[in-house]
Amino acid sequence: MNQSGHILVIDDEEVIRSGCQQILEADGYHVDLADNGKSGLELIRKNDYDLVLTDIMMPEMDGMQVLDELQKMDSRTVSIVITGYASIESAIDAGRKGAFDYIAKPFDPDELSTRVERGLKQAEHLQQVERLRKERDENLLEISNERARTLTIINSMHEGVIATNRQKQVVLMNPAAIKMLRLKRQKIIGQTVQDILTMPDLTKTINEILETVKSSLKTLQKEFDTPDGRVLQASITPIQDENQACIGTVTVLFDITREKQVEQMKSDFVSHVSHELKAPLNAIQGYLDLILEGIAGNDPEKERDIVQKSRNRAKALSDLINDLLDLSRVEQRNISKEMEPVQLQEVLTQVIDFYRSKADEKSITLKTSLPEDTPPVRGNKQDLDRLFANLVSNAVKYTPENGNVDIRLDSDPEHVNVRIKDSGIGFTPETKNKIFDEFYRAENAVEQKISGTGLGLSIAKKIAEDHQGYIEVESQVNKGSTFYVIFPAYK
Amino acid sequence: MAQKILIVDDDADFIDINTRVLGASGYETESASTSEEALQKLRGQKFDLAIVDLMIEDLDSGFNIAYAIRDDEKLRDMPILMLTSAPRKTGVNINFPEGKDWMKVDDFAEKPLKPAELVNRVKQLLKSK
Repeated sequence: MNQSGHILVIDDEEVIRSGCQQILEADGYHVDLADNGKSGLELIRKNDYDLVLTDIMMPEMDGMQVLDELQKMDSRTVSIVITGYASIESAIDAGRKGAFDYIAKPFDPDELSTRVERGLKQAEHLQQVERLRKERDENLLEISNERARTLTIINSMHEGVIATNRQKQVVLMNPAAIKMLRLKRQKIIGQTVQDILTMPDLTKTINEILETVKSSLKTLQKEFDTPDGRVLQASITPIQDENQACIGTVTVLFDITREKQVEQMKSDFVSHVSHELKAPLNAIQGYLDLILEGIAGNDPEKERDIVQKSRNRAKALSDLINDLLDLSRVEQRNISKEMEPVQLQEVLTQVIDFYRSKADEKSITLKTSLPEDTPPVRGNKQDLDRLFANLVSNAVKYTPENGNVDIRLDSDPEHVNVRIKDSGIGFTPETKNKIFDEFYRAENAVEQKISGTGLGLSIAKKIAEDHQGYIEVESQVNKGSTFYVIFPAYK
Repeated sequence: MAQKILIVDDDADFIDINTRVLGASGYETESASTSEEALQKLRGQKFDLAIVDLMIEDLDSGFNIAYAIRDDEKLRDMPILMLTSAPRKTGVNINFPEGKDWMKVDDFAEKPLKPAELVNRVKQLLKSK
């Protein structure tokens, strides 16, 4: 018979030790021997025994002390005491100290074998119990870790998450959802959707899904307006049990207010641009029709006038397209532009030279002050050219004959300032608020038939802001306007 | 006596072109480039028809002129031809004044209109009056 089991026999009597060894080894066990409690414990500490047979009465350290020590070691080693004084008392005593069984001396081999076998079964049983306990503990830890992890993920999501049960009660709501729905610090879990949400449409949709028959269950995506004017996109998914019955819902919320605004702005811009592009084309077609249909009456003078007007509109259309392209170029802020130290006196000198002939045509006096020692600004040269070209051309365009345009550059240790002052037609204080808006044109400029796209100043403003600068303006009707552009000095 | 038409548009070239087109067909025209000027002229003299651009100061100023005409007992029956160059598919939102539903202008057309087409529409409107 060959059984597994590692057994220690502790007894001060040589006869007992060798007797036990013979019997147990014959049964197939691996047996160690110790002649007193102390050396027995030393072996126990070194090896992992399934069973310990110990005498009670021994010199050095008795069996009871061995049992005590075994208890303290939290060992699953099963112990059987061997006693020469078979008495109820010593058996009870040993039992209290954790002994599994006892054998009274003298004993016969069969009795020893039977008791040891039983003891080993107990040891195996204890080990199994311990293994199961460990497994269970590990599983529980795993589950609670998993729960904590999932909750952490849901709670740190940017999207709002709301879960409801079949009774329309909220069973989970993450902080993002609480924020999006602008809920106060109130009891949320366990309340019905209806009691909590201030958006009747969303409540209705969630409830409808909960009441839907199982065959038609699917995720529903819808946009909802909040009472304070935001737009939330909700993706509502029914949760089904194994019979496909709806047992709850999960709603994921996205705040798409910003996207909606951008969409609206884009759509407004496109319709405005289309209108601005169509107007000159319509005029050109209209003029061409006048000639084609003979409405001009074949009068060369009239025809020439019509062609000239068409030509003007074509030019305005071309200017508008150029400005639109500039606007889109300036707005590509994310695409890294080359930024370098730029000397504004150089930019201004070039721009002024370009518009000097136009100023001369109208006998406008162009005064400039562009000190050489002005510190540079950090910027994109092409953009800064465009900014000042827009401002200088405006100054010349809106200043009547014999007027003045005065362009000054100055600086302090922190700033570089440009002042462009004209004696032009100016504008009203009401216009001042709108002058930098896209496509806005001052009423008096339109009345006086001064052409323009309404984009020049909005482009200039965008460029200034891209350079951490800003534009300010002062104006009086028929007295003139002064534009100030201020940049941080580059150090 | 020639029938008189008011052309309301903020585009001077449009007024120029249609003044010539309608003039060649024997109509007398006047023009206005703002809503205020338009209503002032309509109330000051008698017109047989108004050609109104939808977008003058704002996206829907033309409608406000039309409402003012329909609200005015003396002007109410004058036909209105409304024109727009607003492209149809760009989602222009037209805000009707509070408490007023869609109201019918007598004809609505998209710019540009061929001279013959404009004259034809004007004729139809003046005939049905």
